[in-house]
Amino acid sequence: MPETWRLLTTWDGEPGFNMALDEALFLHGGSHPTLRFYTWKPTALSLGYFQKIASVPQGQRAALCVRRLTGGGAIYHSDELTFSISAPLEHPLYRGEVKGSYERIHAALAQAFAEFDVDAKMRGESSLSSDSEDSVMCFHHSTPLDLVWGARKGVGSAQRRSSGRVLHHGSIKFKATPFEPGVAGLHEHVPELAPAELALCIQRHFAERFCLAFTPTEIQPGEASHVRERAPFFTSEEFVASR
Amino acid sequence: MRPDDRKYTKTHEWVKLDGDSILVGITDFAVNELCSGNESDLVYCDLPDPGRELEEGETFGEIESVKAVADLNTPIAGKVLEVNISIEEHLEILSRDPFKDGWIVRLEPKSKSLDDPMLMDVADYEKLIAAEEPSA
Repeated sequence: MPETWRLLTTWDGEPGFNMALDEALFLHGGSHPTLRFYTWKPTALSLGYFQKIASVPQGQRAALCVRRLTGGGAIYHSDELTFSISAPLEHPLYRGEVKGSYERIHAALAQAFAEFDVDAKMRGESSLSSDSEDSVMCFHHSTPLDLVWGARKGVGSAQRRSSGRVLHHGSIKFKATPFEPGVAGLHEHVPELAPAELALCIQRHFAERFCLAFTPTEIQPGEASHVRERAPFFTSEEFVASR
Repeated sequence: MRPDDRKYTKTHEWVKLDGDSILVGITDFAVNELCSGNESDLVYCDLPDPGRELEEGETFGEIESVKAVADLNTPIAGKVLEVNISIEEHLEILSRDPFKDGWIVRLEPKSKSLDDPMLMDVADYEKLIAAEEPSA
């Protein structure tokens, strides 16, 4: 019997909306995990939770900045599919070591990318041509758990674990951006690949690999209320410049 | 065997009476969840200012590993007397010695009793973490 997950897609969301909705799902998501796919309009730079804004020169050049609840480096959310998973921490995909949870999720993503002839693997111990010590961008730093192809990082990811729940952020690049040169992108393999097509493929592989049944849903009234209240915070100086 | 001179929580904190104060830390299990034995994977720790009043269950800090941020919660209400500033600079202490040198905050507790039913002795805690190991 497949396990029921909620599926939520929100295309071209404003940056504050995107972060506030993930917060709502993280804090109030209930017992069924939610897989959410989204894109950003306008494009924006997101800072990792602990990043000091003064250390991110790209923040001066980006039209809009937000700060994520998850850690790691900055990401320029352009030409990408973003996903989030909100789940109870006791869920078998997330229970135990952080490392194991990435291995499980990235194995499913790699299977999905293989449909587009992309040979994605976890980085392991080798270094990448997209790594750059001087950069503060997420895609220019890699760990053994990162999903890579062609010796370049193609998926940025981070988690937050709190109060028995987990929020998993993933950012899948279609192509390099002005702030993230040299990273891997799926458009090198499938130039016309659209976010919705990739999302559908990932959803299918998650369903098969983890024995899931997805229920497409809308944003619930309580979530909409949370987003209305909290979206401005994620782009506010109070939060963005808090470190 | 983990120390039996303190109490544990289901969210993997420990509390220990130390004279008139209480020390709060996180267990080896919690540290290992974040870094899988790679102590260099712990990259940042945000700790409270001394004097801050904490309620039971309140988040008082956060710890970041290369792939996850996790909250630090206190199971005991009290005022922060001292934070272990050495772990801010040397997070590897949490990995090497989470039960002694890796204490995180010292509290002046509202109650010095550790008889809260939410707190477990070491035997019950070890049963809990045995059940938490992923099956796949």
